[in-house]
This record gives sequence, structure tokens and C-alpha cells, in this order.
Amino acid sequence: MTPAGWVFMSLSIGFVVALTAFCFYRVLAGPVDESSDESRPGATEE
Amino acid sequence: MAGRQKEQWGTKLGVVLAVAGSAVGLGNFLRFPGQAALNGGGAFMIPYFISMILIGIPICWAEWSVGRYGGRFGFSSCPAIMGVLGRHAAWRYLGVLGVLIPVVIYMYYVLIEAWCLGYAWSYLTGKIDLGQDPERYAQRAGEFFGHFVGIEQDGVTLAGGLQISVVFWIIVFALNFVLIYRGVSKGIEAFCIRAMPLMALCALLVLVRVLTLPPNAKDPEQLNVLNGLGYMWNPKPVDEGQPWWAALANADVWLAAAGQIFFSLSVGFGIILNYASYVRRNQDIVLSGLTAASTNEFFEVCLGGLITIPAAFVFLGATGVGGSLGSSFALGFNTLPAVFEYMPLGRAVGFTWFFMLFLAAITSSLSMLQPAIAFLEEGLGIGRRGSVTLLGLITALGSFFVIYFSKNLVALDTFDFWVGNALIFVAATILVILVAWVFGAERAYAEAHRSAALRIPRVWKFVIKYISPTYLLTIFILWCCRNLPDRVRELGGNQVAVLAVLVLAAIIAFLLVMVNVASRRWGDPRRHVELPEEQIA
Repeated sequence: MTPAGWVFMSLSIGFVVALTAFCFYRVLAGPVDESSDESRPGATEE
Repeated sequence: MAGRQKEQWGTKLGVVLAVAGSAVGLGNFLRFPGQAALNGGGAFMIPYFISMILIGIPICWAEWSVGRYGGRFGFSSCPAIMGVLGRHAAWRYLGVLGVLIPVVIYMYYVLIEAWCLGYAWSYLTGKIDLGQDPERYAQRAGEFFGHFVGIEQDGVTLAGGLQISVVFWIIVFALNFVLIYRGVSKGIEAFCIRAMPLMALCALLVLVRVLTLPPNAKDPEQLNVLNGLGYMWNPKPVDEGQPWWAALANADVWLAAAGQIFFSLSVGFGIILNYASYVRRNQDIVLSGLTAASTNEFFEVCLGGLITIPAAFVFLGATGVGGSLGSSFALGFNTLPAVFEYMPLGRAVGFTWFFMLFLAAITSSLSMLQPAIAFLEEGLGIGRRGSVTLLGLITALGSFFVIYFSKNLVALDTFDFWVGNALIFVAATILVILVAWVFGAERAYAEAHRSAALRIPRVWKFVIKYISPTYLLTIFILWCCRNLPDRVRELGGNQVAVLAVLVLAAIIAFLLVMVNVASRRWGDPRRHVELPEEQIA
């Protein structure tokens, strides 16, 4: 593993992990989803 | 659409995991590492991330935006939504690609999914025996795969009773349709919410095992995990004797990177459009879209990029790995079983790995069925039971065709080339032009920001209007130049390939007739009105 290899691997994985963590933080920390009520329609009915 | 209660996702996290599950597939673990190692190693990541920013994420947002917009009119199928966007019936016929592509891909993808489950079962029960001679592990793994899928002769998996691969095909096929029958929220979402974390857990277990592998006793200086990571991540030129950055001047590297990101995110061929149509009208899509895309990247770069190549390198070395990089099947079903045979705890790792691939595959295959179910329901007025039965029959016939013509996997390969590659480029280009030029980039941008939890940079409008279509067309033309001549020549000498193309033509004709019938039912595309709130949310 060359130093350049370490740089590419660290930057790529770091970028993706940071982006994913940021996105999930925003999704999970957002307002409570009112649609999570189990009584909501879940299947198509004619 | 009056009188019909539209389906919807239950939770924000549910829709994110369902879309991410649709995108995460075998390509994340088998295709990406091979493409990266072949096309510049770490240097590959530069065109890869640029392609993600210029075509992957922009098209993803465009599809989410117009998908939710179409859902407000009570539509979830690509032909109907494209009719609403383009306000002309001709767009409905072009939208047939958004049904055709997922359905045809399902026909062969479900078979690969069954192989994964079959391999997991074989590891669990100790049925994969590669002998005692380490020198012959790779050869025996190839023979096992060939026998498992019937690669020697057409119809061999159906002769003399049910072969194990066919048994698993039946199980997996039925499981897909049971989940689809349960609906978007209770079927797809409920399954993905459980399957995605389980898939991540399996991948992390395998990753820990790979990163803690001891050096190979044959040559510990060379054959170790660090050098395996180097084989994957060290930037290198495609041609020997050049500096690594020469890879960035190679058109093939850009083509490979753009193709990888494009296929990996599953954008442009109707799946996201369909899934987004079930999002509530006041629910965010910008953050959800980005989260689903980044989850896909996590599985691809952080897990796929660290597991497959390093594991194979430790036991097989550069020569052993190099031969299978260009083929996902060779890497996944020939090379890796040989690697698991060498590896301490290999049987448990093999089971975990193939079970994880099965989960990756089934969360994708579910998304391939739903667009067609939506089309049958809203286009032909068929109820859930009828649409599931009809689609089950059609896909079973197509899948049976692929199973029967198993020799050298020609039928599977032909379907994959013409539909899983060529038509996807066409569909994505049409969708981008429709959204950016007919519906309007400004309207799509405004629509995306309805209740958005994130702002899309304004430059997106320019990108989706000019850069994405140009980029797409360029890589499509390059791809055609590289691949089409050989494929057209193949049609002259391979009867199964010709038959497969004729089957595809028949499916296209059938779907066009169905769109015609549906179009009469839907009426004038300029007169659609939004559904009242109570029927949407």
C-alpha cells in the first residue's frame, strides 16, 4: 500500500462515511414522521 | 383514478431504506471492486465521484422530484407519470421503458438471487466441497458453479428432477411475489427496514474477518491484507510505464466510472420514479434521495471496496485475482468460494457473504416488480391479486427462458446487454430530456423543494439541463462503439441470442399494446388533475 493509496482510500471512505452519517443524522433527527402510524393505509384497496 | 386509495410509504426511514435497498445489489460488492482495480485503482475514484456529482445525484433528484409530482395525480407507473409530465400521449409510449426494463431485469436477476441463496445454503450445509488440494480450489469452484447453473448444456438444470438452483429459484421467486402482494408499506418497506441493517451487519462481519486475516504463509511479505488493499486502492496507470494520473486521460476509465455510478444508483429507468410516487406530497425528497444514494455508496465504496479484492489477494495473489476482475460472476462465484476454502472460518464467512448478497439482491428485485404492478393496477384497472398473478406468470415465463437456455449463460447475458445496459442508457436520456426540457428544470427544481429538508444548489438546473444529458449521451455513444459491433456479429452466429432478442421484441410489443389500452383508460394527458388530499395523505 503506497502513501498515495492510503490517501485515495482514506479520502474516498472518509467522504462517503461523512456524507452518509450527515444524511442519516438529518433524517433521524428531523421532525417525527406522522405517517408512521400503523393505522395508515398500507395496501391498495379499490 | 377516482375512488382509489393510493398506496404510501409508512415512514421516512422506510422509503430511504427501500430506495437504498433497490440500489444496493451485487454490483456494489462484485462489479465495483473489479472496475476500480482494472481502471486505475485509487485514481478511478476521481472520475467515479465526478460522475456521481454530474449524473448520479442530479438524475436521482430529478427522478424523485417528478415521481412525487406524478403521485399527486394518483399515478405510480412510468408511462402514466411521463404522460402527465409531457402532457402528450406519446410520452406514455416512451414511458414503457420504465416498465419493460425492471421487468426484464427481474427475469434474470431473480435467478442470480437464487444462486446467492443456494450458495449460502450450500455453505451452511457443507455441500460446497472443493477437495483437499489447494492448487485446485479455483478450478473446483468453477466446476461447482458451472454445474450449479447448468453452464455446460441448455436445459440441464431442468433434466432429471429439480436441481438445487431451480428449487431456490422457486423459493426466491415466490418470496418476491408474497412481499409484493403485501404492498408498498407492509411488504417492501417492512422487509427493507429489516433486511438493510441485517445486510450491513453481515457485510461488517465479513469485513472484520477479511481485515484481520493473517498473512499467507506461502509469501507473508507479499500476500497480506495491506498489499491487498494496495492492489485495490493504489493509484496506477491503465497501461504500464506511465504515471498514475495518465489513467485520468483514458476515455475507458471515465466510461467505466460513469457506467458504474449510473448502474449502481439505479437511476433513470423508472424504479425511483415509481418509489417516489408513494411519497406523501408534503414529505421531503431531497434529503431522502441523497440519503439513499449515500447509503448505496457506503455499501459500494466502504464495504465492497474493502472486502472483495483484499480477501482474494491474500490467498490468490495479483495473478489469481487479475483474471476475474472483469467479470462479476467469475469474481463472485469462482474466485471467492476458492478464497473461503483457504480462509480460517471460511464456511461461516462463505455463508454470511452469500446470504448478504442474497439480501442485496432481493431488496433490488422487489423494486423491479413494483413498477409493473403499479402499471397493471392503474393502467388496466386490475386489482392487486390479479396484477400479481399476471406479472408472476409473465416473469416466470421469461425467467424460465433464462433458466432453460443456460449454456454459457447466453440468454441471461443477452437480456443483460440489451436491456440491463443499452436500454437503461436510452431510458435515462429520455427521462432527463423530459424533466429538464419538456417539464422544465425550473419546475422540477421548485417541485423538489416542496417541504425539502435540504436545498439543492441552483447549479443543479444547469447540470440537469446541459451537463447530465451531454455526459449520458457521450458515455452511451462510447459504450456503443466499444460493444455494439461484437454483439451484432454475435447475433449472426448464435441462435439462442437471436431467440432472446425476439423474446424481448415480443415483450416490448405486448407492453406497447398494454400502454395503448391504458392510455384510453387514462384519457387526455393534458386534463389530469391532482387527487384530493384525503386520497393522497
